[in-house]
Amino acid sequence: MFEFLRFELRQQLRSPLLWLMGALFAALAFGAASTDVIILGGSVGNVYRNAPMIVAQFMALFTLLGMLFIAMSINGALLRDFEQGTAELIFASPIKRRDYVAGRIIAAMIGCLLIYALIALGIFIAQFMPWLDAKRLGPVSLYPYVWTFAVIVLPNLLFTAALLSLLAIVTRSILWVYIGVLGFFVLYGVSAVLLRDLDNVWIATLAEPLGLRAFSRTIRYWAAEQRNTELPAITGYLLANRALWTGIALALFAACFALFKTERSGTARGWRRKNILATSAETVAAPASAARQLPKVSPSFGPSTGVAQFLRQLRFDTLGVLRGVPFIVMLLFAIANFIPSAIFAQTQYDTAIHPVTSQMLQALQGAYSFVLIIIVLFYAGELVAKERGVKIHEVTDAMPVPNWVPLTAKFCALIAVIVCFQLLGSIVAILIQLGKGHAQLELAVYAKTLAVNSLIFVLMGGLALCFQVFTNNKYIGYALLILVLIGQIVLGTLDFTHNLYNYASAPNAPYSDMNGYGHFLKGQLWFQAYWGLFLLVLLLLSAALWVRGVGGSMRERLRLARQRLSGPLGVATALSALAFVAAGGYLFWNTNIRNEYLSPDETLDLQAKYEREYKQYKNLQQPKILATQVEIDLRPETQTMRASGTYRVRNPYAKPITELHVGMADDKSLVSIDMGGASLIKHDKALGYRIYRLKEPLLPGAERNIVFKVEISPKGITNGTAQSQIVDNGTFFNNTSFPTFGYNDSAEIQDRNERRKRKLGEPRRMPKLEDQVARANTYLTDDADWIDFKTTICTAPDQIALSPGYLQKEFMRDGRRCFSYAMDRPMHNFYSYLSARWQVKKGKYKGIPIEIYYDAKHAYNVDRMIEAVQKSLAYYEANFTPYQHRQVRIIEFPGYASFAQSFANTIPYSESVGFIADLRDKDAIDYVFYITAHEIAHQWWAHQVIGANVQGATVLSESLSQYSALMVMEKEYGRSKMRQFLKYELDSYLSGRGGEIVEELPLYRVENQPYVHYRKASLVFYRLRDEIGEDVLNRALKTFLQDKGYQQPPYTTSAELLDYIRAEAGPDHSALIADLFKKISFYDNRVEAATAKKRADGKYEIVLDLHAAKLYADGKGKEAPGKLDDWIEVGVFARGPSGEEADEKVLYLKRHRITNGQPKLTVVVDTEPYEAGFDPYNKLIDRVSLDNRKRVSLQ
Amino acid sequence: MLAIRDLSKTYANGVHALDHVTLDIPRGMFGLLGPNGAGKSSLMRTLATLQEADSGTATLDNGSGGSIDVLRDKDAVRRQLGYLPQDFGVYPKVSALDLLEHFAVLKGLTDRKQRREVVDGLLQQVNLWDVRKRKLGGFSGGMRQRFGIAQALLGNPRLVIVDEPTAGLDPEERNRFLNLLAEIGENVAVILSTHIVEDVTDLCPTMAIMNKGKVLLTGRPMDAISALESQVWRKQVQKVDLKRYEQTFTLLSTRLVAGNPVIHVFSAERPEEGFEQVAPDLEDVYFQRLRQHAKAA
Repeated sequence: MFEFLRFELRQQLRSPLLWLMGALFAALAFGAASTDVIILGGSVGNVYRNAPMIVAQFMALFTLLGMLFIAMSINGALLRDFEQGTAELIFASPIKRRDYVAGRIIAAMIGCLLIYALIALGIFIAQFMPWLDAKRLGPVSLYPYVWTFAVIVLPNLLFTAALLSLLAIVTRSILWVYIGVLGFFVLYGVSAVLLRDLDNVWIATLAEPLGLRAFSRTIRYWAAEQRNTELPAITGYLLANRALWTGIALALFAACFALFKTERSGTARGWRRKNILATSAETVAAPASAARQLPKVSPSFGPSTGVAQFLRQLRFDTLGVLRGVPFIVMLLFAIANFIPSAIFAQTQYDTAIHPVTSQMLQALQGAYSFVLIIIVLFYAGELVAKERGVKIHEVTDAMPVPNWVPLTAKFCALIAVIVCFQLLGSIVAILIQLGKGHAQLELAVYAKTLAVNSLIFVLMGGLALCFQVFTNNKYIGYALLILVLIGQIVLGTLDFTHNLYNYASAPNAPYSDMNGYGHFLKGQLWFQAYWGLFLLVLLLLSAALWVRGVGGSMRERLRLARQRLSGPLGVATALSALAFVAAGGYLFWNTNIRNEYLSPDETLDLQAKYEREYKQYKNLQQPKILATQVEIDLRPETQTMRASGTYRVRNPYAKPITELHVGMADDKSLVSIDMGGASLIKHDKALGYRIYRLKEPLLPGAERNIVFKVEISPKGITNGTAQSQIVDNGTFFNNTSFPTFGYNDSAEIQDRNERRKRKLGEPRRMPKLEDQVARANTYLTDDADWIDFKTTICTAPDQIALSPGYLQKEFMRDGRRCFSYAMDRPMHNFYSYLSARWQVKKGKYKGIPIEIYYDAKHAYNVDRMIEAVQKSLAYYEANFTPYQHRQVRIIEFPGYASFAQSFANTIPYSESVGFIADLRDKDAIDYVFYITAHEIAHQWWAHQVIGANVQGATVLSESLSQYSALMVMEKEYGRSKMRQFLKYELDSYLSGRGGEIVEELPLYRVENQPYVHYRKASLVFYRLRDEIGEDVLNRALKTFLQDKGYQQPPYTTSAELLDYIRAEAGPDHSALIADLFKKISFYDNRVEAATAKKRADGKYEIVLDLHAAKLYADGKGKEAPGKLDDWIEVGVFARGPSGEEADEKVLYLKRHRITNGQPKLTVVVDTEPYEAGFDPYNKLIDRVSLDNRKRVSLQ
Repeated sequence: MLAIRDLSKTYANGVHALDHVTLDIPRGMFGLLGPNGAGKSSLMRTLATLQEADSGTATLDNGSGGSIDVLRDKDAVRRQLGYLPQDFGVYPKVSALDLLEHFAVLKGLTDRKQRREVVDGLLQQVNLWDVRKRKLGGFSGGMRQRFGIAQALLGNPRLVIVDEPTAGLDPEERNRFLNLLAEIGENVAVILSTHIVEDVTDLCPTMAIMNKGKVLLTGRPMDAISALESQVWRKQVQKVDLKRYEQTFTLLSTRLVAGNPVIHVFSAERPEEGFEQVAPDLEDVYFQRLRQHAKAA
């Protein structure tokens, strides 16, 4: 055995490919560990670059990618002898099978370990690179490497090597080993889908053989500090996973030894032997043939002959692919990958969505079609080498077939394969739709979308085909292609992103149910046509270089090509090249001259320049808008909008304003602006910043009108995806298209690394809670406080146009349908316009009309939304203050963005968030109801009370809306449903804080961090309500609203809110309120033991051993113990009929004051207990919620 | 029928595959004899339009009084051509019938009904009718060669080129195959390359012998044989003496008979004691030409 090992190891180490892979992967690892250019499995975030978990994560990821070289090594070790025909030599000698297999496999694994060592070295030396910020490095340590090799790398190598060895031994086919790798990647993806459902964590983490998920699951809730210093203990998910798969690996190895056969392939299986016998029998039996007169049919050669030959060859090649094992295997993989993601499609809270066609197509594109890239690349090589591969090319090449036939047939065969693949995918998708009871089949949409989506594969396949022809060598052809693919990635990272030189790239046209492809398709198709022409040139050159007969040297081929090109082929090539150049010129004119092309870096540079040049004006006193009146001429048909507006402005300051600084999102769109006499003294076109000197300064307290005209109209094709605000059906834009005043700090770069590269210093943070100056403005804008608003918008005659305010009149003007709206009370300087062909459904709440504007395809949840509006209004009016408007409108807009947003009496709501949720499952979370309630709550929390532009501002809008929605939901669905909902909130919060890149702040200082102001806030307010009571809390909120609603500056803050809450809740709760709002606190509560005894009187006495702990974390996640003095629920439950938690009966539920870490309680209940819980409903923030309940053991 | 003039081809590695080859190939079977590397396959590939020549011409009667320039007008040649290359494979997972149908279309038989007739007829003629639905991967060498000839005969070719078709066949298969060829050879020109002399003797009214890219002899086998009349001598010798005979005489061939070499020597008169005169055969002609060529070189 040792001899085999030594020999094989020498072979492995001599293989240049292995070293090449090792070097490549090591470089990749080095790049990922030392720069942000290469990103592996998510960015490093604010964790140390050399943190132990980063090392473990990188290495773990490489065990997945590493399957490629493991496959190579195993193939080499186990199949080389069979491939090269040396097997019979070796097995004829007296060797032991076992020694052979073991020696070979171990050698292959040692080779792979060497590569992993190289990769680890790459990661290790990365931390010493001079360009790294010392602040982002922890201490140097070898321990993480030892841990990772022991826990991750070795077990994974064992498993993957065992799996691939078994495949190699059973199939004796290199191809199948690679297909095994591919299948493995798919399996990995499927377990990702399973993991999305929280209840399946155990299954999903166990089902994934490499332990990557078990690892990431274990560290999921770790805060930055923990991530910087620790590695998980080998328990729980991680231990189970490692043990399971190491065991499976050993079993697989055993199978390898058992199944390894030394016989020649083909002789081992019965059916093949029979076949061969039959053949030889036939040979003997056949008598010499008698002369038979053959019908004399002469072939005919006309123009149609070539076509017939082409069609025949096309059919032959296409069927050849479709019947091939690799195709079928890849198809099955794709389907296996697609089905779960289509069946379990959901957007939020694991609630299913209706399988509308656009969603199915999206799932097809994301989980199915990508396999085509492998198929076309692989089969491009196979098809070109098809005849040569079986040595029949001399026969076919001597046949009277025109030169154009074979290449054209093969290219078209690739297209046919793509079409078949897409057709099969859509059949599966349609079956899923039917299976889910969705009968609105949109076959035309399928056809169109799949056709559009297939273009990229045609382009890639065509390129692969041409490379195969040019190089006349399958492997060099593949290598060239991989070079192109890598080149594209490299170009992207080097900031070369123009579609004109990135082969096959085009601005992606998004599809929406409402708007279809809209105007987006034009740009995509133009670029694809451009690359199509390029491909045509290559194909024609391929025709010239096509090898017919015996391929000569390159010189001979070129000579022949020149000869062929001197005919019509040359003319066609020249014409296509000309067309390609012309299309390129046209596109360049469009993207770079009519429009502006900026690479990502150039965009960031501009942002940096904006900050450097204009930050000086941050506190420049600018007028405030008092009233806005806008006339809009919207042309959805041409995606054009012309607006002429008037701002009534006032100088609220004590000094005169002499300069007006006007900012525009797009400088070119500002046609004119008139502020009653001003000279333009600076005009920065690139940054959209203008400085006007007023002829007459705006004196303190004085008012004036500013009149502007804005025009947004498309100018041909852009390099990126076209703007998605003004579209054919579903226009949605807001006032950011209009002029703003002064410096806009939201335009600054937020990314630390990008800032560092441009020497910009630390990213902007929100002003401190204590900053009194910042309280002069709301966190929305500093251009206005509250404004009067009036507008008229004209749109296409078949559309409705909407904006905040009440409809004053609707009329026709010049064939356009016009709507005038006016708001009857002051509102924020924050308004939107929408226009589309909608259905309208109306409801009412106490005389307040409710209107839902929705797309005809999306009627599913409209009634639910009306109900949610009614119930929300009822709760908020009863508990807070009256609703300030006389109308509620919810308006669907296309899924180019997926949010709902509350404007005054107007709520745009994306088609992709609530309209297609499938609420038929009564156990699912009704997030339509929740989102609607949340948005309605914003009419109070944001539109009545608005926070000052300081930390904690979003508590007053988002967090309180969240609380309000929770209350409406609880009334509708009950407490147990809330627990289900809050579990998601807890999970989002805990995983959100792990991804924090600045610092986590306590709730009352939140700086627009969604995981805090939505997710954590749900938990905080729900618990607060529990402890101080709903009435008390609502009373505090009501008073707060009454006092602070519609206030003028200085605006209110979260600190003031806490004062109101404290005032109502009383001093008993001030420690609790501090824990919830001012600190980042965690609990570690669990039931250690619960034992029950039946007493003589038939009751049960339960002794509970509990564990309690409270921790305070700082912004980086560093934890310190806190002093326990909390009221925590203790519960005992009886078994319900199903044994599920949902129908357990509460026997005992009471809050206990817990002051020490090991409380011991005795509880008496009437009937037999089943489960006991310490904070059983997970109302406290506890990272391990499962151990809060434990089965009661009966004595 | 086919006139080849001064055809030359030099490969990139310097090998003269064809060295001013001039041949006239009439209707009927034409045998092309030569050792491995003689240039037979190069010649045939060139005639089958699969390879370019450096210089020279080849002209094929087009059957209606005109002629085709084989080297330039490849499409026209292909329409007249049936070609069975030396070492060809098949798609293992396709049935004989399907592949022959496919080839028939490529050969220009686009009419479905006619094609069907031709394909069926050919399958019967080459005696593969019973196994026509079997996958080609399961065919024996002989069956595969018969399939090869069937495809070569598709579309009434006027020029049939078969390159070493009998190599690797057992005697019975070989006979069957040659019979098939003989049947065809009645109407068209068949170029049969081989290094088995008997194939030519048995079948070919005309022939050529090639070596190292040159044509050493062309004509009728009988003429060539009679030219050697009474100049071929045979003797059984000892192994140790073989070297001496080789140096002294033009040794045509050596064959072991019961363990001792029997040699054929070319000589105008009896070379020495113990030699007996034998009637020459084509093999003697073949070797005599090769020896002669070797000496000249």
